[in-house]
Amino acid sequence: MLVLLAVLLTAALAACGGGSKSDGGSGGGSPQHSGSSSGNTSGGSSGSSDSGSKAPEPVTLRMAWWGSQPRHDYTLQVIEMYQQKYPHVKIEPEYANFDDYWKKLAPQAAANDLPDIIQMDISYLSQYGGNGQLEDLTPYLGTIINVDHISENAISGGMLGDKLYGFNIGVNTIQFQYDPELLKKLGVDKLDDNWTWDDYYALASRAKEAGLYFDSGLRPEVFFGYYLRTKGQHLYSPDGTSLGYDDDRLFIDFFAPLAKLVEDGDTPTPDVKAQVKGLEDDFLVKGQQVGIWQWTNQFVGLQQVANRPLEMHHMPGPNRKQGLYLKPSMYFSITKNSKHKEEAAKFIDFWVNDIEANKLIKGDRGVPVNSQVIEAVKPTLDPALIKVFDYVAWAQENSSPMDPPDPPGAAEIIALFKEVTEAMDFGKLSAEDAAKRFREEANAILAKNK
Amino acid sequence: MHMRFAAWRAQLTGYAFISPFLLGFLIFTAFPIAASLYLSFTDYNLFSPPSWVGLEQYRTMFTGDPKFWKSLRVTFLYVFVGVPLRLSFALLVALLLNRASRAIGLYRTVYYLPSIIGGSVAVSIMWRNLYGDEGVINLALNFFGLESVRWFADPLAALWMLITLSVWQFGSSMLIFLAGLKNIPPSLYEAASVDGANPIQRFFRITMPLLTPVILFNTIMQTIAAFMTFIPAYIISKGEGGPLDGTLLYSLYLFRRAFVFYDMGYAAAMAWILLAIVAVLTALVFFTSKFWVFYETKED
Repeated sequence: MLVLLAVLLTAALAACGGGSKSDGGSGGGSPQHSGSSSGNTSGGSSGSSDSGSKAPEPVTLRMAWWGSQPRHDYTLQVIEMYQQKYPHVKIEPEYANFDDYWKKLAPQAAANDLPDIIQMDISYLSQYGGNGQLEDLTPYLGTIINVDHISENAISGGMLGDKLYGFNIGVNTIQFQYDPELLKKLGVDKLDDNWTWDDYYALASRAKEAGLYFDSGLRPEVFFGYYLRTKGQHLYSPDGTSLGYDDDRLFIDFFAPLAKLVEDGDTPTPDVKAQVKGLEDDFLVKGQQVGIWQWTNQFVGLQQVANRPLEMHHMPGPNRKQGLYLKPSMYFSITKNSKHKEEAAKFIDFWVNDIEANKLIKGDRGVPVNSQVIEAVKPTLDPALIKVFDYVAWAQENSSPMDPPDPPGAAEIIALFKEVTEAMDFGKLSAEDAAKRFREEANAILAKNK
Repeated sequence: MHMRFAAWRAQLTGYAFISPFLLGFLIFTAFPIAASLYLSFTDYNLFSPPSWVGLEQYRTMFTGDPKFWKSLRVTFLYVFVGVPLRLSFALLVALLLNRASRAIGLYRTVYYLPSIIGGSVAVSIMWRNLYGDEGVINLALNFFGLESVRWFADPLAALWMLITLSVWQFGSSMLIFLAGLKNIPPSLYEAASVDGANPIQRFFRITMPLLTPVILFNTIMQTIAAFMTFIPAYIISKGEGGPLDGTLLYSLYLFRRAFVFYDMGYAAAMAWILLAIVAVLTALVFFTSKFWVFYETKED
């Protein structure tokens, strides 16, 4: 049955793919696109928005995003708000969790049936953008999407080459979030502003004795990437066809101490982590873990569920400024197959620039990119969110430009990372062997981009 | 001439009547099968059109992908341990339920229940929790003075979770066994009793031989089903086949290739290899069946 199903599925997809090819050639999206990018400065787009204000035709937009329930709730509210303001627009939401989202999106892409607006992640931007699924947003800037109060830097985070394939809808950076009361149990009142990796290992190794976990590990693709940057190296080569660092020593130096912490019981083993069902039974929330390494926008949810004072702290150094970067936490992209690209762009404009909407959005998708919005929204926020806003503002001055978006195949690299770190954490693979295996397999995956 | 037209008309009417099936079959079965065969010779990432690579996917699978072999090993272990266990269990329960008892209807329903809810997502989630570090299984082990087992830390232990889940869903084979048992004429048992055969002799000399056709049927059906197991592995390992690929059943790996890594050509090739494996095994079972399956009708 399942063979049949698998056969069926792949085949059905192929069928859609075949159909879409002829579609694209005959005219659905592409002529429209070339039209709007040729009339790039003012002609095309402003003309059509004039006609739009005269007698707006009813338009249905499909919009897709990933997230958890609180995000779905407020996003639906923002959509409702938009529909009231522009009654001729109806927005059909399609949402899922992160993993399922991408499993659903790929077949839609093959079928040329992507929603008009899709939430995009940096690790998929080149896969979708590079394969012609996404619209270049450059022509819409300043015409439909107002960018008066948005910095050049924030926008360029969605660039792939000279095309803008995703509009940054929030800024993020990485940090250490922790419970100060639990930290005291390790005999430390305050973390040193300029702490180093060695300080971290020393501190974390006291956790087991205190009956705690120190953290829940560091997501390799994010934090090893940061570590490499502090060493002047990068995870991926600039053209995305191989790894960006040559010395396996870097891999070993980063991962061996982390595996040691797992072995000593200072951080949880993979099987223990696998049994955490959600934020509610997270060890930090349950008061059994000092801190967690993650993105700034995740602080708010954590704080909410933990319901006790939490603090945030800088990444360990040395060379923190060189390693740290601001990243678009996510983008909105307009798809090539959308029939209403301008209406979709209007919605993005509303999302990033409307103050009332951003009072609902708050900082859940990262700190807003519009400086006016930040000013207007900030006084209405609760203290945890203000901390996040302030931290990102601090990071603006204390970071370096981010790496280009991940190359295609990043999803496979992330799975590979997970596999080798899991084997290291179970004590089944030495850091040396892991470094070698990771290099070989990762380069084989990335070589497909040549 | 007129006759021929009438005949043609009659045929057309016939086709019209079977057209719902015919269309469904062509669109949802025949065409996808053909397309998947074609795709297995291509490199296809869902975004750009498939490009022909000949046997490359198959070559990679057999020579350049340790994971493929790993998933095969896990699957064979799952099938060759799980299916015999499941069938033995089903037969045992069928024997128990074959005895006359006033509440037999109730028992049959109760024992069949797990199979109705069997393959579902909810049961897999429940299984995860049963085997958790603080789950019922470990509590029971502790109660009997045994050490807790970290089911999610050891690849083999994790596979056992899947195997026990499949054994627990013995209901459908049990029903078929039960029907088989009912078909054995009571006169044979009576005659054996008169000759002084004890229950064990009766089981091995009468029940087993007469049940072999049913065993053959169940073996084949269950083996095929086991090779294609997907949902429990997907749910219990959260879609990743861990720990250390311990639950990376073939179908799960195929799914990951297709929908996580967007490697449709490879996934299609994997589907055809699975089909080949199942076909060969089924043929083998059929071939050996003439040595161990006993058909009563032949004797007449």
